[in-house]
Amino acid sequence: MKGNVIKYERDNIDTDVIIPGQYLKIHDYSELASHAMEGLDPQFHSKVKEGDFILSGKNFGCGSSREHAPIALSHSGIKAVLALSFARIFYRNAVDGAFLLPIEIEEDAYHGISEGDEIDIDVKLNEIKNLTKNQSYKMKPFSEIIGKIIEAGGLFKYKPD
Amino acid sequence: MGKTLFEKIWDSHVVVEKDNGPSLIYVDRHLVHEVTSPQAFDGLRMNNRKVRRPDLTIATMDHNVPTTDRGLPILDQTSSIQIKTLEKNCKDFGIKLFDINSSNQGIVHVIGPQLGITLPGSTIVCGDSHTSTHGAFGALAFGIGTSDVEHVLASQTIWLEKPKSFEIKVEGKRKNPHAVTAKDIILSIIKNIGTGGGTGTVIEYSGEGITDLSMEQRMTICNMSIEAGARAGLVAPDEKTFDYLRNREYTPENYDFLVDYWRENLKTDSDAKFDKTYTLNIDKIVPQVSWGTNPGMTCDVTASVPFPEDFAKDDLNQQKAAEKSLQYMNLKPGTPITDIKIDRVFIGSCTNARLEDLIEASKVIKGKKVSQNVRAMVVPGSQMVKKKAEEIGLDKIFTDANFEWREAGCSMCLGMNPDILSPGERCASTSNRNFEGRQGTGGRTHLVSPIMAAAAAIEGHFVDVREMDLS
Repeated sequence: MKGNVIKYERDNIDTDVIIPGQYLKIHDYSELASHAMEGLDPQFHSKVKEGDFILSGKNFGCGSSREHAPIALSHSGIKAVLALSFARIFYRNAVDGAFLLPIEIEEDAYHGISEGDEIDIDVKLNEIKNLTKNQSYKMKPFSEIIGKIIEAGGLFKYKPD
Repeated sequence: MGKTLFEKIWDSHVVVEKDNGPSLIYVDRHLVHEVTSPQAFDGLRMNNRKVRRPDLTIATMDHNVPTTDRGLPILDQTSSIQIKTLEKNCKDFGIKLFDINSSNQGIVHVIGPQLGITLPGSTIVCGDSHTSTHGAFGALAFGIGTSDVEHVLASQTIWLEKPKSFEIKVEGKRKNPHAVTAKDIILSIIKNIGTGGGTGTVIEYSGEGITDLSMEQRMTICNMSIEAGARAGLVAPDEKTFDYLRNREYTPENYDFLVDYWRENLKTDSDAKFDKTYTLNIDKIVPQVSWGTNPGMTCDVTASVPFPEDFAKDDLNQQKAAEKSLQYMNLKPGTPITDIKIDRVFIGSCTNARLEDLIEASKVIKGKKVSQNVRAMVVPGSQMVKKKAEEIGLDKIFTDANFEWREAGCSMCLGMNPDILSPGERCASTSNRNFEGRQGTGGRTHLVSPIMAAAAAIEGHFVDVREMDLS
């Protein structure tokens, strides 16, 4: 999975800035996407491309349980969020609805990857290659069932053993 | 080795246990509201599924309901559609709904306990992160997203990774329990452990500082567990818990039998081990005021706005975050908190809009008026709270002081209905989140207790309520 990185070098990006409360009444996903990250980065919508990734610090997606957050990012084209850690509800929402991959990274990837870098994520090998800088980093593997839910394409397609 | 309260509740609800990854957990109560449920019901329809246990599912509308006269039509078309959609979904799937005209309508986390729907030892989920509130009753209660809402509607179960256990002991006694409240305790905890301090855990709050609290105060504590990143907060039930839930509208008929069981079983064994512990002594704590853009950015009312480098303690990310927060909040480091002038006051939300909160807030405003430059509103947590408050004359105390006295809902906590801040407005708020734009684009939120918010409304700036006459 290849794409370019949009980097937010900060911790605690909350779901209120990912999709502000006033838009939670919107049912149309592409309209929702047009307001993604509006609370933090009003330029996001104009710069994001299909297949991009977001890179950020600790506790990404904290706050409200709104699934609108991963939906808005996903329908903006974001395929994965790489973060030092995730708030648990955001993490589950991202996986259960198969909206995007929440990928936990270590400090080397967080500091090594810059805005605009092209990276290649291999979830089978748990590896992230930075094609721009010719570096590679480890990602934390998904737990067994989370991996299976992702593979199945979401919670409702997952059939327990 | 003994078990923690959390482990006991967890073990009694496991349907399928997995060593690596989530287990399937049975859900005793599912609370539903208008914002995080529409797609879940659509999903059921698409797959020809029913709600498995409509009798264990309860709905209300709270997030985007107007807090003005309930007789008026809802002007916001999208809100109106969302509210009508919930009505239709509840009718189609046979779910009990407390609609906008019901005397039981209110914020979902306020009505659960007041109706006796929230019970000790049970598992409770809701498509709302503040579901942790119900943990005050010794229930394992946590927020979920819409995909999981659909999963629970369809199966009454949820896949959940077993959280770690985290004991937070609150020791000591507050010197002035009217001025220093449960809100100040939980803000102090989050200030100390950080917004990620509880990530992946269920917090059990224990100690004299917790058992001393009333049920409504314990709800304030558990409510904000999510702001420390925890999945849930818990307090072991005691006689206060059992008394609070007795004779409510939905209290089970065999209540005394249940109480005997709960009294015996719902506690952490003396030899149980927690994965993590933290102790806070509250002998000397003072009223808290948040200065930044997450609940961990909080300080004593007697302090000044911190310098980012002092706040960050060598963490560069934290320092940058503090700088950005101060810029957003338009605050200069070194400014005494009591010099910060405010434009708005919001007394409401699932954190602090129950009857006791309103009683406490009313103590500093009797016979006084809201400062000329301040607009202040009270939004009771439920229509029942509103009614009970009116029975003891609180509405008159508030309106005489020029507070707006409104109908129940989430209101300005999250800015989904017309109750929002204008860009640049500064608000003393009893809610739970001071995130950028949370109360309206460009709005600036300071989290405080109800009595601190009321005092700020009167003075026009933050004040140390310990110095006020609360007799």
